[in-house]
Amino acid sequence: MNNKKRDRLEVIYDILKIISEKHNSIKPTPLLRYSNLSSSSFNEYYAELQSKEFVKEIFDKDGRKYITLTDKGFKFLEKYKMIKGLIEEFEL
Amino acid sequence: MAPPIPNASFHGQEFMMFSDPTVVLIELVLTLIAVAFCLVIYFKTREAYELTKYESIKYFRNAFLFFGISYILSFFSSIAIFSRIIFGVTLPREIFGSLFILPLGYLSTMAILYLIYSSIWKNFDSKKTIIISHIVAIVLTIVTFITRSHLILLYLQSILFILAIIFGLFANKSKKKISQTKILYFLVLGLWLVNLLILGNGRPLHPLIDISLLTLSIAAYIFIYYKILKWVK
Repeated sequence: MNNKKRDRLEVIYDILKIISEKHNSIKPTPLLRYSNLSSSSFNEYYAELQSKEFVKEIFDKDGRKYITLTDKGFKFLEKYKMIKGLIEEFEL
Repeated sequence: MAPPIPNASFHGQEFMMFSDPTVVLIELVLTLIAVAFCLVIYFKTREAYELTKYESIKYFRNAFLFFGISYILSFFSSIAIFSRIIFGVTLPREIFGSLFILPLGYLSTMAILYLIYSSIWKNFDSKKTIIISHIVAIVLTIVTFITRSHLILLYLQSILFILAIIFGLFANKSKKKISQTKILYFLVLGLWLVNLLILGNGRPLHPLIDISLLTLSIAAYIFIYYKILKWVK
């Protein structure tokens, strides 16, 4: 992941993509590390992802927490390029 | 006694043409096409907004929704003004003028402000700007309502149009050339103002010119729709 300043949508896309690439199941700490965000920024984005219902938390039998994508999260990933194109096309 | 014709300079030939049901029908169909494209633009971008809740997509969509409704209102406003000629029935202008001018003033002003704001929202505080936009739209509507004049609305919205051009030219100094999208936005805003001029000035132009301008508006909306279709299937 490069270090140039990413806009909000791009960060959301990057986080969702990481989850998807990790077989749709990743613990919070590695996700924070891969997302290349500060802890406070990550928490802010994570709260947003939950409120938008892009991700959900699941627990294994030992009580360990994993983060997975919801259908809406997959849909966002699928439509991201289209949305980004639309935003750039109309300078929104 | 029949009410006077709205503008004494109105030429007889154009007046006769507007009273021609065919001309009215063509204008109605073209208006409905313009409205349809505005609404299609609104609904086609719904998914993009619902997935992202991206602010400028919301402003962009609202602009076209409000323009669509404004076109319907302007058409019916026109019909009300010329009801005596078209239907042989005189609708009280005080009632119908007020009935259409209030929502028309508010919605069309908000459409203009939303379109401007969709491009420059990153430079401003969203909440404050939207509140100010509503206040501006309400003030413009009240002034237009008091004067019962579409021309006053035209003059006031022209000021917004000039501001839009200034913002368009200077908001992004890093880009030397003005983009195709901005030109398209200016065209949409300019054609709306021409529509108000036609409405407010007793239809000073030849009906065929009115129809041509309306067709040009539709072409602009179709072009925007085509640009959206490139991204939204």
